[in-house]
Amino acid sequence: MQQLDNQEILMKLKSSKQFWDIKKKIKKGFNDQQKIGVNDIQKFAQSCEIEDQLTNLISHILKKSKKRETLKEDQIDFLNTSKIKWTELLFKNLDIVHQKTKNQEEDDTNTDSKLYIYDEKNLLAFLQTFKQQQSSALYQNVQFQSNKLLNINIPLKSSQQILDKYQYLLLQEELQDEKINKIRKQIENEHLDIELEKIAQTFVPNGERCLLYLKYFEFDHQETILQQNFTKLQKECLHQLFYDELLEIDGHEISEDTFYFVFQEQILTCLKCFIRDKTIKENIRIQLQNGIKKEHTEFQLPITGFFPFKNISKYVAPLCYLSTKIHIIYALFKEFFCRYFCFLHAISSENNSILSLCMQIEEIISTNSPKLFHHLKVIGCDTLKLIIHQLIYCFVGDMDPPHILTIYDQIIGHDSLEILVILCVGFLNKYKSKLLLAKNYENVQQIFQELREDKFQELVQFAYKQ
Amino acid sequence: MQNKKLKWKSDFEKSVIIENFVNRGWIKSQEKEEEQTDWNVYWATQIINHFPNHYELTRKDCMVKNLKRFKREQDKEVLETFNFDFLPTTYIFPGEYSLFVEEFHRNPNQTWIVKPAARSQGKGIFLLRKIQQLKKISGTTVTSNMTQLNLASKENYVVSRYIDNPLLIGGKKFDLRMYVLVTNYKPLKVWIYNKGFGRFCNEQYTTDVAEIENMFVHLTNVAIQQYSDKYSQKHGGKYSIDALKLYVESAYGTDALNKMMDDIHNIMLTSLKSVQAVIQNDKHCFEMYGYDILLDSNLKPWLIEINASPSLTTTTPVDKNLKMNLINDVYNIVLPNDDFPDNDQKQQQPTKVGGFTLLYDENLDPNNRKTQKRQSVKIWK
Repeated sequence: MQQLDNQEILMKLKSSKQFWDIKKKIKKGFNDQQKIGVNDIQKFAQSCEIEDQLTNLISHILKKSKKRETLKEDQIDFLNTSKIKWTELLFKNLDIVHQKTKNQEEDDTNTDSKLYIYDEKNLLAFLQTFKQQQSSALYQNVQFQSNKLLNINIPLKSSQQILDKYQYLLLQEELQDEKINKIRKQIENEHLDIELEKIAQTFVPNGERCLLYLKYFEFDHQETILQQNFTKLQKECLHQLFYDELLEIDGHEISEDTFYFVFQEQILTCLKCFIRDKTIKENIRIQLQNGIKKEHTEFQLPITGFFPFKNISKYVAPLCYLSTKIHIIYALFKEFFCRYFCFLHAISSENNSILSLCMQIEEIISTNSPKLFHHLKVIGCDTLKLIIHQLIYCFVGDMDPPHILTIYDQIIGHDSLEILVILCVGFLNKYKSKLLLAKNYENVQQIFQELREDKFQELVQFAYKQ
Repeated sequence: MQNKKLKWKSDFEKSVIIENFVNRGWIKSQEKEEEQTDWNVYWATQIINHFPNHYELTRKDCMVKNLKRFKREQDKEVLETFNFDFLPTTYIFPGEYSLFVEEFHRNPNQTWIVKPAARSQGKGIFLLRKIQQLKKISGTTVTSNMTQLNLASKENYVVSRYIDNPLLIGGKKFDLRMYVLVTNYKPLKVWIYNKGFGRFCNEQYTTDVAEIENMFVHLTNVAIQQYSDKYSQKHGGKYSIDALKLYVESAYGTDALNKMMDDIHNIMLTSLKSVQAVIQNDKHCFEMYGYDILLDSNLKPWLIEINASPSLTTTTPVDKNLKMNLINDVYNIVLPNDDFPDNDQKQQQPTKVGGFTLLYDENLDPNNRKTQKRQSVKIWK
């Protein structure tokens, strides 16, 4: 449904650099001609592909103006059923957690730390239980391999396509001051999201990152509204929820992190507001849980429509670097979660879903590093089990903040989480030689417990190393 | 007449040295050379990690005195090359007590911070809002109409305007510990280390008068914060300089970060210049200082103090890594290739050694300090 009138479309066009480049081109094409008719312009535009560029630009504006619909139903039936089963499982976990917290209140010596509804291992274990339900002619290009952890027949982008898409990162060079200043000016002047995506794909100066993100999410002139909304949510936090307790426990890990401990209180405040935010259900790109608890109605799903999970704090933490204003941090976190991170917790066949990303990683490793893939299987450590934590939490806690923010840039730059596939493959390739010497799971754990420093560009290099 | 048979040891086989020992009837230490510890007098070829009178910079009262003196000298110069606006208004007790009282009455809402001049680790520090609180250091009742203050102990105190609007991150106050290596005072040669850390308080900052004595809110010393219930052994309240720079650049902008760093470099250079004339320079000496700097809410840095023996205790694995590399890099500058560098070798040293970057070398450009500072910022980046 078209929501913008012609005037609005023109305004959006005028805020794009590409529009002005096209206009310049047309002007140049007619030089000093005095009388120019509409037909003349149209003929000229058709002759040098300007008409196509303009058409694409306008259709992009119209597409972006459409209200985002939350994906509720998957094209594959058994995944819809699985989502319901997952939700039921989580309700059971919630009951168990609630009982544990009650026990801890009564007995101080009881220090059971598993006070979360689910973590990444639980999610992966659930995905593993999927069995090939039915084959479909549509997905014949997916090779069914019994040695893979996940055997699900879903439409999958070719892994070579993903590798090719991000290969340009290998050529990234350190930019000179002049180029950086040019990019700064571009960010200040640009408003169109496809142009901002192009910038995000190449390089985002630290000083302009927050502005780029705010512009991309169309928040740059909405600070007052963001502040008012956040203040309302903060007031609602005065009324305690059981989930607040889980969020406080979740914050303990981030409070021990050398890069994020300073933001501990801010992270908790953001999360408490998040689980009370009514607008999330309509803004989130994909439904995470499906089902309403019928019996024992002490706890229902939070108003967001999904349960908070272990390490949810990690998604907020890196964004705390971007602003001194908590309502800005909150707005950015909410948008990142609703657009991208939600897919990491969704039972879905969508491209960005945890299922697709995992299958892509297994595909690349089994094809490009078969020795490693096989060795890990033999010693009882599946490839996915090694990288599931890094994948689901976007390497937060594994990489220093500047590298995490580069990951976030790439996510925006391609409107996709596929960069995580590249980085996970790179991560496994980096430690390949040590992993090949590991004899069991304990050896493998020791490798990752040593003090290590994983960097964005380094992992990209390793992803393409044979 | 010498009666004592002192034992001597020498790295120099110089007759003037040896004969003096012999003439005095002193005995050469008989142990094997490498095990010689049984000596009273040692004529050495050594280097030492302190300048003889480093206290001119590292005692709080001397630092203030020297900076004030240097400022008076610079005020007479035609060209303004130094910026002194980084030292909070400070008085040295007991000598400047009456001046303090005048200032105190002019600004009755001002909080002051009282520190012993020569102690460390936050010992003896307290915040002052009423003159009567000075009883803590005088031992007797103090009233506002007294014109002099007699201190209970012989030590001096410094009383500074308390920076009550510190930059907060996550609602908490912090200060910066940065490392500076001086390998020579005349001419001045200064290196700055690229790693350092912010030391965070464990409690949320507040200017509430009820919390004025809560040291967990106001004093960033690790020696104090480690006793807080909220202290974590994993990070020890230490936040890396790199993380802080990312935060400042992302949240305030690149220009704001560059200005902040420029101002910090100014503090280091100006403070060292202020004692250049008084420090006893010796080619066998070097010194690694721990600079304590506080940022206010406008990102303006203030000099708190300079430590001659910054703590090398490590509280976390990250801390250990930092300090190991720091000392290693100090040796790489001071003893390159495990040898004492001669003057030529010192001149040819690169401007970057490990984590150290040359901040200032008076030999290179003795008259153009501003140009040197701008160049050093680029090197730092």
